[in-house]
Amino acid sequence: MDEKGIARYTRRDFMKAGFVFGVGAPALAAGYAAVPDVFARAVFDAKQAGVVNDRVLVMIQLGGGNDGLQTVIPLSNTRFRDLRPTLGAVADKALPITSDLGLNANLAGIKKLYDAGKVAIVQGVGYPQPSFSHFDSIRVWETADPTRRQQDGWLGKTIATNYDSAGHPLVGCACGTTSVPGALHDLQATLTVIQDQTTFKFQGGDNVEQVMGALYTGTPGIYGALFDTAMTTVRDTVAQLRTSAAQYTPKAAYSDKQQLVYSSKNQLAAALSLAAELIVTGSGVKILHVTLGGFDTHYTELNRHDDLMAYLDSAVSAFYADLAAYGMSDRVLVATWSEFGRRPNENASAGTDHGTAAPVFLIGDPVKGGLYGQAPDVNKLDTLGNLGYAVDFRAVYQEILGSHLGVSGRDILGQTFDRIPFVRDPAKSASTNGALVNAAGAPLPGRNSA
Amino acid sequence: MESPERVERSGEAMKDSPQMSEKRPKTSRRVPLSRRQVLVGAGVAAGGLGVARLLGLHDLSQLGLPGQSPTTPAASGAPGTGVDWVAPLSKPEAQIAHLLRRATFGYSRAEYEQSVKDGFNMTVDRLVESKPAEPDAFPGGDDASRTKPLNIGALQTWWITWMQKTPTPFAERMTFFWHGHFTSDFRKVSPQTPYIYWQNLTWRRMALADLRSMLYQVTIDPGMLRYLDLGQSTGKSPNENYSRELMELFTMGVGHYTEDDVRAGAKALSGWREPVTQAMYDDLVARAQQQGRQVPKNLKVDDVKSGVFEPARSYNGTVAYLGVTKRWDTQAVLDRILEQDAVAPFIVTKVLREFVMDSPADAYVTRLADGFRKSRYDVKTLMRAVFTSPEFVSPPAYRALVKSPTELMVSTAKAVENPQLARTIVQSAPGMGQTLFDPPEVGGWPSNASWISSADVLSRLNFTVNALATMPKLPAFTNAHATFLDGVIGPKTAELLNQTGDEASRWLIVLASPEFQLK
Repeated sequence: MDEKGIARYTRRDFMKAGFVFGVGAPALAAGYAAVPDVFARAVFDAKQAGVVNDRVLVMIQLGGGNDGLQTVIPLSNTRFRDLRPTLGAVADKALPITSDLGLNANLAGIKKLYDAGKVAIVQGVGYPQPSFSHFDSIRVWETADPTRRQQDGWLGKTIATNYDSAGHPLVGCACGTTSVPGALHDLQATLTVIQDQTTFKFQGGDNVEQVMGALYTGTPGIYGALFDTAMTTVRDTVAQLRTSAAQYTPKAAYSDKQQLVYSSKNQLAAALSLAAELIVTGSGVKILHVTLGGFDTHYTELNRHDDLMAYLDSAVSAFYADLAAYGMSDRVLVATWSEFGRRPNENASAGTDHGTAAPVFLIGDPVKGGLYGQAPDVNKLDTLGNLGYAVDFRAVYQEILGSHLGVSGRDILGQTFDRIPFVRDPAKSASTNGALVNAAGAPLPGRNSA
Repeated sequence: MESPERVERSGEAMKDSPQMSEKRPKTSRRVPLSRRQVLVGAGVAAGGLGVARLLGLHDLSQLGLPGQSPTTPAASGAPGTGVDWVAPLSKPEAQIAHLLRRATFGYSRAEYEQSVKDGFNMTVDRLVESKPAEPDAFPGGDDASRTKPLNIGALQTWWITWMQKTPTPFAERMTFFWHGHFTSDFRKVSPQTPYIYWQNLTWRRMALADLRSMLYQVTIDPGMLRYLDLGQSTGKSPNENYSRELMELFTMGVGHYTEDDVRAGAKALSGWREPVTQAMYDDLVARAQQQGRQVPKNLKVDDVKSGVFEPARSYNGTVAYLGVTKRWDTQAVLDRILEQDAVAPFIVTKVLREFVMDSPADAYVTRLADGFRKSRYDVKTLMRAVFTSPEFVSPPAYRALVKSPTELMVSTAKAVENPQLARTIVQSAPGMGQTLFDPPEVGGWPSNASWISSADVLSRLNFTVNALATMPKLPAFTNAHATFLDGVIGPKTAELLNQTGDEASRWLIVLASPEFQLK
């Protein structure tokens, strides 16, 4: 702050002096002191014992509609090159994974993981009667409901149904954003949102924190409970981050310096670094959500999409390496999602318009690598010129829920789908795999046992 | 107001810390704010209700609970404390404050007092009838180019500064509304053109015009041509982006058109390109010379601040659009949209959710939509109808909306009368999820309950602490809780105000309170 004329009374003085409260303030705020971390974890563990396993899910949203055909590329399909006179050049540099399919050249890190059997690619994922509206289709994916009747997000519902998040706000956390993503939204679940861990604290110190805690207590009105819950979550999270920051240093190079055609507003690498911190410090995280935007590539898509692929690849690779170095990669599943793929036929702006089916990536040690689903056929487009889908996206969710997290997919999705077995060692059902949680993260007998 | 009973407090409880006493001139007369005073204020405001009814006992089920709409799921069926604020809106001062919180970016004590003197109707007149005042030109704005890009931080500061000092605060508030509705972001539009700056000027100029005129300016706005790709769209190979969002986000909402309409609209609207400024032209020529290339023959300076229509790029044939098959031009497309029944309720719902309540009743929407249509989509007529509707000052409208971060921060700066907070505001905005010229998505800004995540609330409070901490001297507190919170405050806010006689601390309580987050 360098506004003129502010010399007499500096900000530091002000902060040092703090805000002045009477003797009543500490007593009043005492009931809201942050729960000590160790105690919180013990309580959390006790609550969790017998209920869940120690696996973690990280969802990466590719916002704007990721172009599946520029991501997993048909290598020798002449129709593909006809449909995409400009964009088709992506096939020339692609990294082959089969004789006829290649990954975008900028996905070298993910290709390496694929070769090591740690990446599953489910092809042709979509849903019936697809929406071409970003918001509508995002909502379908977030609520796992193509009929658009559900309000709660599928991840939020998973938390509310299976985990006691009330005393532990980090069970579900969105990293690198300021608002709760729709997928995590559920009124019965406590959720944390952290844009940047270094600034996630109260200006003005403990005094201010206590006063604010008191100020946001029993707030009346229709937003009262939301405000109060947000405050409790903030204070629990501040306490958590205070302890965890000391224990974590990244063991991989995260970089947000990736050059993009136009800058992304999502710092994916920073968000994943924060996710890694929350995981390795045993904060009790279960479900994390991060977003990379910029995929709405209506024009000059080739460079733009390649850049996004490189950015995604570098952030995910660093995240995996970091977790592996901490010995935690065996419990973390990364999954990508995007509201839709894009039209096979490129437009005059050398871009693509909103489309339908696209691949989903599952990455991590828990994954049984390989190709699943069915590559969309560019020779058989529907009347709107779009690809047909082979796999309902909820079948992917079902495998994540049932086989990775070990919770009932049916509870969340309302129905069952044919299994897509991309999880290597399916968790036993919640009722039988008991007492697997250890806050310190030590391997426990029975973990990952099939 | 009846004479308040003072609660005497012990000297110790009232004592300032030594540091504070040294640096800050003590107020000559420290008036402890008693709980009773607060309660009485609220009671009177509520029309003679007794002390015990401070927060009222409204059954929450009688209120329009937000969250039934898919865009604000975060509050559906929210469990509350079971009590709601007692709406003081039968009181003229409270009506004025309510109006100023909704129709402007907040107020200083002097502005509030002047409006109270003028009365509600005259204040509505003044706000709605004033022609939008234009800010001084943004230095270098028109000359932005690859070598001299717009400084976006400075542009944001320029706008925040104008939000604070404009003599036509309602027009400015509407400019901000349209910025969220007809949105564009500087990343895609690029600071290497003046387009995002021009868009702000155009939205202000059109802020209170009729929707038909505005839609035309929106469609051919250079920033919009780039943001939604219409500037790239040709009749031969149309780009659907603008055609879709024009119907989905700008005028009707999903369900009122088909995919075929999207495609037909893309053809019908094609033919526009972005204008080239002198600075952009000079830059292109210099680059071509540097790289030993020929300057493209058709490159020329366009002396306009809007799109340039090139018939050769447009679609020549007939298409079926929203049920009519003919040869279209841009105005005809927009007129066809404005003939659809869905337009007026769509715009009215959005307006009501931003200015009145999160879930307006169908009958309310229909009534205002009918008037809006009859006025030939005149925005001034609509907004006057909104502010003078009985629903606007009805109890369910009271504190029924959450201030967006920009509203919160500018209203804070106005309350403490500090025009120098613009930079602090700009720096604090990203943490709250509202960076001007950089909406999170093509749908613009989130609203209401979506502003209450843990990260948002923390950033809001940190802004308030920082803002007050940078001020050498705050205005006298003088019952700021009455001026800025209508005297209707929750028990915790009252309790904390009562615990300190320090003016800065009291200002902090008022401005950081949940009450002040609402409008």
